[in-house]
Amino acid sequence: MKRLHALTLVLGFAVALTGCVKNRPAATPAPAPNPFPGSVSSRTTPATVSGEAPPTPVVVPMDATVSAISANDPFVNTSIVDINKDSPLRPVFFAYDSDALDETARTTMSANADVLRKYGTWIVTVEGHCDERGTAEYNLALGDRRAEAVKNYMVSLGIPASRLKTVSYGSEFPFAPGHDEKSWSQNRRAHFMLTAKQ
Amino acid sequence: MFRVIAVGAGLVAATVLLAAAPIEPEATPTPQDPQQPQREVNVFLTNPGSHPKIGFQVFNSSAAALSEAGATIVDVLAADLDFEKEFYVISRKASAAIPPASSPQTLPFSQWTDIGADFVLMGSLRDAGSGKIEADVKLVNTKAPNAGREDFTRTYGGCTVAGIRHCAHSIADDMHKQLRNLDGIARTKLAYTTDRDGEPSTGRPIENAAPSKEIHLMDYDGAGDFRYTRLHRLSIAPSWGPDARTLVFASYAPTPDVFFASLNDSKPLTRPAQGNDSMSNTTPVLSPDGTKIAYTTSRGSTGGYYDIWVVNRDGSNPHNITPATERSSEGAPTWSPDGSKIAFTSDRTGTNQIFIMMADGTFPERKTFAGKADHPTWSKLGYIAYTLERAGGHDIAVLELTRGESRVITDGIGSCRQPTAAPNGRHIAFVTTRWGGKEQIATIDYPTGQGIRQVTTQGNNTYPNWSPLPSGK
Repeated sequence: MKRLHALTLVLGFAVALTGCVKNRPAATPAPAPNPFPGSVSSRTTPATVSGEAPPTPVVVPMDATVSAISANDPFVNTSIVDINKDSPLRPVFFAYDSDALDETARTTMSANADVLRKYGTWIVTVEGHCDERGTAEYNLALGDRRAEAVKNYMVSLGIPASRLKTVSYGSEFPFAPGHDEKSWSQNRRAHFMLTAKQ
Repeated sequence: MFRVIAVGAGLVAATVLLAAAPIEPEATPTPQDPQQPQREVNVFLTNPGSHPKIGFQVFNSSAAALSEAGATIVDVLAADLDFEKEFYVISRKASAAIPPASSPQTLPFSQWTDIGADFVLMGSLRDAGSGKIEADVKLVNTKAPNAGREDFTRTYGGCTVAGIRHCAHSIADDMHKQLRNLDGIARTKLAYTTDRDGEPSTGRPIENAAPSKEIHLMDYDGAGDFRYTRLHRLSIAPSWGPDARTLVFASYAPTPDVFFASLNDSKPLTRPAQGNDSMSNTTPVLSPDGTKIAYTTSRGSTGGYYDIWVVNRDGSNPHNITPATERSSEGAPTWSPDGSKIAFTSDRTGTNQIFIMMADGTFPERKTFAGKADHPTWSKLGYIAYTLERAGGHDIAVLELTRGESRVITDGIGSCRQPTAAPNGRHIAFVTTRWGGKEQIATIDYPTGQGIRQVTTQGNNTYPNWSPLPSGK
């Protein structure tokens, strides 16, 4: 009963939000085009050119464990880019040439799972990153294994797989530019990137 | 030349826009002397065993406006000949005092032989109207009893001022073919990935994201750089089709997928691997007959372990050719020149090593045993070049297929990765950090590993891929 109540609240809130968007004054700048063709907000931008697969609409499953979000919640009116700037979803770090999840990683993911339970409409892309020491091709594979390892653990914590996409950037987009262990340790990560929030 | 691939900011991954200004096609200058018989390989040496020595005379031109074009032809042609090392190029400083002649017969032969010249390259340019330049080129023997004999004579009718380097490259290729029976690579290009454009990547909702990486094309010597993609995301691993007119590459949309591009027309990009955002398709390579694409993919995998799949260019019949390797990653395929085999990287024995299998995936055989090995590239000259990772860093190694042995051919300076072989096998381009830490593309000679030249200078440049000859060989 309590759960059902929470669900009703969430649904009601979602409807309110939708209304909000529709009634937005014309003066408001148009939201930046969502660069992720598979994500929810690009559903209205159909692909027109052959050769580019049409974006697959993503149906957001209603997560029964989601709790209600207050309208005063700091993330409700914050843009995806701004949330990613100082995200409540923390990165998971890895040892050199490893996709193993250590205790720290599991604690981080547990906290991230709490955030995703709270914000039940958020969809994240888990980006796998590597330091520059392996070959570029090897790092693409390693980054995918890191992202998959994190996704699988998050699923084991009850987060639906449909809310977790993965991508490997290998060593192509390092977070820290240096060529020493200090930078490398920052670059061996699975980064939680919020890609859709409603 | 080529069409630019671009994506409008508001329709990422949905619309392919063409560049506003079409670029004049790089037409191959047509030799205009059909009656000229094709000579046999016919270079006489006064000192057998050494390279024939060529001196260069300044080109004569009918108009002052053409003298600069003439100087460019001499510069580019001398560099092309020097690159292949079939001829010894005599420094133009050494010949500066020798008065130019207007005909082969009036060359001051003794002055040329005094500085060691076996031949003098002379030529003239004239305005052929409609923006075309006609170039006469002669290679003249300097030594008795053959002094004054023309061992190479051609007229090039299709040259232009803008395309003057291409004209010179054509002369170099013709000279190598006719006089040395060599497939020169002067007209070949390198495709590569660069972050030099410095434009934001639109694929990730993050502030201060790293700049996008785009596909560029350039001449083998680094001139004529051309930005091919404007996709504003991560585009990597370009690889030429066998006709030198098509290209495959991987681009994040938003996960990496294989894109097939036709360079000289306005056909839209296609996605033969039919990727979606639940898989990664990377490092595509077209088969030598152009009908199939082998690529690295996470398709069908649950733990992020890669396999090599092959798909027809039209997208039909995608299939896994390394299916029995669920807990190892296979990738970075490269076709043998006859298309019957594929070399690739696998970590099935622990660390990444190079393997060779039949093109259908059967009979895999391990070929490297030291350090870690990746990024094989199969040369027509009977070797596979690859990246060798050891405790000291990365170097380029070559596996000589007849002996089955590997040796390192770079010098250990900086990190050296991602080799690609020239179509005649005599040169290898690769990525190195030796010049100031950024990733630059360099070339060295095979088999010596000598003659390193820096090809790029701006930004970080990776995944070089050497085009086939313009003839498609």
